[in-house]
Amino acid sequence: MTIEWLHPGLLLILGAWVIPILKGRVKRAFMLALPLAALVTCLLMTQGNYGKMSFLGQDVEFGRVDSLSLVFSYVFSLIAFLGMVYSLHVDDDSQHVAALTYAGGALGVTFAGDFLSLYVFWELMAISSVVLVWRRRERAAVAAGFRYLLFHVVGGLVLLAGIVLLWSETGSFAFGDLGSISGSAAWWLILVAFLLNAAVPPLGAWLPDAYPQATVTGAVFMTALTTKSAVYVLIRGFAGTELLIWLGAIMAIYGVVYAVLENDARRLLAYHIISQVGYMVCGVGIGTALAINGATAHAFAHILYKALLFMGAGAVLHTTGLRKLSEMGGLYKTMPITLGLYMIGAFAISAVPLFSGFVSKSMIVSAAGDAQLGVIFLMLTLASAGTFLHTGLKLPYYMFFGKDSGAKGKEPPRNMLVAMGLAAIACVLIGLFPGLLYGILPIQTADYVPYTLQHVTSTLGMLAFTALGFFLLLKQLDPTRTISLDTDWFYRRGTTRFLSLVLGPLSRFENGFVGQIYEFVIRRPVFGVANLVQRFDSFVVDAAVVGVGSWTQRMSQVWRTMASGHTQHYALIMAAGVVALLAWAVLAI
Amino acid sequence: MIEYPILSMTTFLPLVGAVAILVIRHERVARWTALATTLLTFAVSIPLYTQLDKNNAALQFVESAEWIPAWNIAYGMGVDGISVPFIGLATLLSVLCISVSWTAVKTRVRGFYAAILVAETAMIGVFAASNLFLFFMFWELMVVPMFLLIGVWGGPGRVFAAVKFLLFTLAGSVLMLVGMIGLYDSCGTLDFKALADAKDILTPEHQAWLFAAFLAAFAVKVPMFPFHTWLPDAHTEAPTAGSVILAGILLKMGAYGFLRVSIPILPDGLALFLQPMLVISAVAIVYGAYVTLVQTDMKRLIAFSSVSHMGFVTLGIFTLDQRGVEGAILQMINHGIVSAALFLCVGMIYERTHTREIKDYGGVGKVAPVYAVLLALFCLASAGFPGLNSFVGEFLIIGAAFKTHAGLGGMAIWGVGLGTAYIVWLFYRVVMGKLNPGLEGLRLELNAREIATLAPLAVGVVCLGLYPEWILSYLHAPVAELLAGISR
Repeated sequence: MTIEWLHPGLLLILGAWVIPILKGRVKRAFMLALPLAALVTCLLMTQGNYGKMSFLGQDVEFGRVDSLSLVFSYVFSLIAFLGMVYSLHVDDDSQHVAALTYAGGALGVTFAGDFLSLYVFWELMAISSVVLVWRRRERAAVAAGFRYLLFHVVGGLVLLAGIVLLWSETGSFAFGDLGSISGSAAWWLILVAFLLNAAVPPLGAWLPDAYPQATVTGAVFMTALTTKSAVYVLIRGFAGTELLIWLGAIMAIYGVVYAVLENDARRLLAYHIISQVGYMVCGVGIGTALAINGATAHAFAHILYKALLFMGAGAVLHTTGLRKLSEMGGLYKTMPITLGLYMIGAFAISAVPLFSGFVSKSMIVSAAGDAQLGVIFLMLTLASAGTFLHTGLKLPYYMFFGKDSGAKGKEPPRNMLVAMGLAAIACVLIGLFPGLLYGILPIQTADYVPYTLQHVTSTLGMLAFTALGFFLLLKQLDPTRTISLDTDWFYRRGTTRFLSLVLGPLSRFENGFVGQIYEFVIRRPVFGVANLVQRFDSFVVDAAVVGVGSWTQRMSQVWRTMASGHTQHYALIMAAGVVALLAWAVLAI
Repeated sequence: MIEYPILSMTTFLPLVGAVAILVIRHERVARWTALATTLLTFAVSIPLYTQLDKNNAALQFVESAEWIPAWNIAYGMGVDGISVPFIGLATLLSVLCISVSWTAVKTRVRGFYAAILVAETAMIGVFAASNLFLFFMFWELMVVPMFLLIGVWGGPGRVFAAVKFLLFTLAGSVLMLVGMIGLYDSCGTLDFKALADAKDILTPEHQAWLFAAFLAAFAVKVPMFPFHTWLPDAHTEAPTAGSVILAGILLKMGAYGFLRVSIPILPDGLALFLQPMLVISAVAIVYGAYVTLVQTDMKRLIAFSSVSHMGFVTLGIFTLDQRGVEGAILQMINHGIVSAALFLCVGMIYERTHTREIKDYGGVGKVAPVYAVLLALFCLASAGFPGLNSFVGEFLIIGAAFKTHAGLGGMAIWGVGLGTAYIVWLFYRVVMGKLNPGLEGLRLELNAREIATLAPLAVGVVCLGLYPEWILSYLHAPVAELLAGISR
């Protein structure tokens, strides 16, 4: 028997368990070889349907290999490799196993041709990724991990309910375009589950809650896999759903607005994931060939530059232990390479020409323009400006320049730099040679040309004005250059009273938002009911049983006194009985 | 030539072992004899699984002998695809029960092993009997060793728990006896097959009364809400092996009773009770899960989770849908494996720490990684993680429940959600975090015997998760026949 098809996801999931038994150099070599092998497997794969099995009398397909799943499999296995390079120095096997299982789960979702196998890997991703949060081993991380898990368990159950309903309605597990059952309960349940993983607000509150708490290396995997695999399944099942256009555009703005409030570097970047995924969701909703290609291309590019940004922020966290922007500053002296690599990622996410974001994001924006969606076009463009403002200007400014905080930084371990370098090279390569990315997109149509004079100049113009605005505002707002981005900053400045009015309540709402939801929507009601039910069980159900028992015992105590053993007592009772019988007989006559 | 009576061999071999143990004076020899007996019983039962004709819905390996000819009662044994998996589970769990008690039981050792072997005979007998009389005899026989296991080798509150268990069960069985006499009175036979054929003699009203009588016995055993309160006490106080038998097999006897007696013989009575049964099952799922969530004692927690999981079983059975009933039977096997494994895990660590309170644990994973990994596997299985065994059964049941009524499916899903919450929380509090100071210096890691005890269950969890057809293939024909019988 020959193996006709090797599942790269299973390769990672099973192979990961070898890591704990290896040591030293062999271990490190294996950690790199495993995702590399998965990448090569994906690259060598030919299109077709593989891994068919029968389960519950239904066909289950573990390997649907087509142009769409291939693109996502390339980038997922690539990021698994880069992530392993980045975490090579970490001496924690459980993190490595979890990360590779997580990546394997994402590949499993990508190749799943039916809902059952999809669900298996979907749950596997949730379970394995939470380990990456927990292994940070801080109190806050453990708590955040629990909330993260809970959100995904609920999401998984919604998906399960959707699948079961779909199954009982259509008798099939096939996972394809769901447009034919649009609007049914199953359709909604599956959509909600997918949107939860895509972090669409308000279902996406788990993302900025958990990602900043993840381990430095684990965050790199998390930022790449969960939301993007959700984008993939949305493309598969919900392309052209109009609702998604609006949700996506709102997401794009939402993420940027909340990034304003953030002081935690990784939390700021986490909000930008929501914003960027908004573009993709919007593209899925538009559903034209250009938009779908754009969503795919943007997911591809986004995974690489977002991972790069998280790697940069993680490197600072790793070497200085600082996470708040207001505590950093002046790190450019000690971490120039990190700064340089981070800036490549920042330019890429800001869609600066010659970087990857420019060639991918513009596809979605153009698709919105082509589809005559003026408002959407405007929202997406606005979000672009905001992205540059925060990721390209604010964050690097406060982190690396700004007032010297005295924080002692140094360049991170070499493997971290190598990983960042590789990701940066990818960002630039895609920006310079967009054909590399366009060539593997799912729908091959007339070539989209990103580098038109009009497009380049308008983008540059917008970026330049954003930058100008930032530095003007900075000078005006911050004469002493003591920058504290805590939220009270907004209250203290008279010139920003307007901002404080708008953003103050928002920020109070947002900080601990997930904690509040968790507390008031989930934890308290669930435990409240649980305590009530427990009391009912002890004091009603069980008490009835025990009551019957003790009542019987007590009654028998009473009756026992009748059997006293004294003959005269018995005679008395007999006499009373005879009298009673006689009385009854007389009355009856 | 007399055919080799495989069912009687399997059933009574443990009883022979029990007698032998009582004769033997030496405790060590008694222990080895018990292990050998259970292993041999398992070996003897193997042809049942391999040679059963899966496409034949009728009882097979049939044995019949005259017993009380005046009353038309025979000694009859026979199995079909529904009963065979339970016999497999019973013979397997018996081996593990002996193995886990190897060092845990220190008093009245011979009596303990004899009780387990008698229980094994009763368990197998219930699933192998082909007439109601024999079924009832084994059913009642089961109570004796269980009462002793809880009452003699149990925890501090053992006497109360044992008496509660005894009274509850006897109250149920008395009504079953009444029902049995009623059936015999009308139909003149107690053979399952003959009863199913003769059921038209009974008027719907008559059937309803009989159904209620049998329901009392089966509902207590399952246990269905609100007849479940003996379960947490019995589970908590029983020794580990007792909990394993309770959770693994005894609870399944009730649901098996529905499949063997209530549904095929009393379909008109069933029709009257169908809707309340469905509602009670769905309530039990959610109710049990909520109560589980706030338990502070590990064994009590798993006991209450059984109420929730057995709610899935009865829900699946009463959907009267091919998928639902198959899922329910599969869920019984899966729950037998998983809850037995969880009780074994708790028992093994209890042997070292002598506490069942969750708050006395924490950080166990640091000092006992193998234990943590195995516990994680069983917890995930209990939560219905896809790819592990419980998922398939619950999936089939939920699918059938949605078909019956969306509300039932919704409650089942809610139960799965709560189920994940309580089991993950349990795992978190026991295994993760900092090592509880009270556990320092204890050797918590499992030894080879204990790993070997858990290994077959771990294999079962994974294999049945990936290839449920292994069990389901036995069920297709008899379940189809069972459901066809109702509509006839």
